[in-house]
Amino acid sequence: MPESLNSDMWVDRYGDMMYRYTLVRVKNPDAAEEIVQVTLLAALQAQKSFEGRSTEKSWLFGILKYKILDYFRDLKNHRTYELTPEDGPDPLDNAYHQDGHWANLPKNWATDPHKAAENKQLVEALAHCMDRLSDKFRNIFVLKEIEGMSSEEICKELNIKPTNLWVILHRARNQLRKCLEAQHWDTKK
Amino acid sequence: MSRMLRVTCEDTTPLISELMDHNLPLGKRLRLRIHLGMCGVCKIYEKQLEVIRALSQKLGGDDAPTQKDAALSDQAKIKIKETLKQSN
Repeated sequence: MPESLNSDMWVDRYGDMMYRYTLVRVKNPDAAEEIVQVTLLAALQAQKSFEGRSTEKSWLFGILKYKILDYFRDLKNHRTYELTPEDGPDPLDNAYHQDGHWANLPKNWATDPHKAAENKQLVEALAHCMDRLSDKFRNIFVLKEIEGMSSEEICKELNIKPTNLWVILHRARNQLRKCLEAQHWDTKK
Repeated sequence: MSRMLRVTCEDTTPLISELMDHNLPLGKRLRLRIHLGMCGVCKIYEKQLEVIRALSQKLGGDDAPTQKDAALSDQAKIKIKETLKQSN
């Protein structure tokens, strides 16, 4: 039996799921709501192209991913990706001795990446820490680590210089590890 | 060789991050590997970035646990349903 579409049920069945998926990426609730609506409208108009080869849900999420990328593309027109003071200092600025060795030693988090990903509290801590990044850092980090886009794609879509991209990613990661450490590992002695 | 061994932690951390995003030229990659082979602290830093990457991938999935029970408001649902009805 091929999958079929039931557009009357979309909002009730997938609305919240799509909203959460979008909110992780765009942060702003109004923008997330708007993207869900735009996606469902586009889906409605594209119903004829649905061939039943995927599930209704993955078909809708495919369109959603595309609309989210559109949102980031539009942002480049009114956002500069040059570094500014609002991006905050690099937490590693004072992390070294003069000879270039660590002064503030990174803590051993004592978890491997797969185990960490199964820890709900940790995933939630990351969500919290991401919301404390400046929008610029957050957007770039999302495209790289959540959407899994290549550096070349991001530079092209957002019109950023590669060196600028690496600096932003490096600093975003440093801010996240500082925040995660404070959130999760400071209380656990 | 001695130049390679004199790479500091401060030089290394940006390279660790950069290597997560794209390939590095052989020379840089070699210096990074040599340093990581000798420096347990930078290994810890590298592991931390890998943990952040794994957490991000989990957070981005459509089954991600979310911190808030974020949901569309009833009002938003009604509005979207109306919009869909009008264009159908």
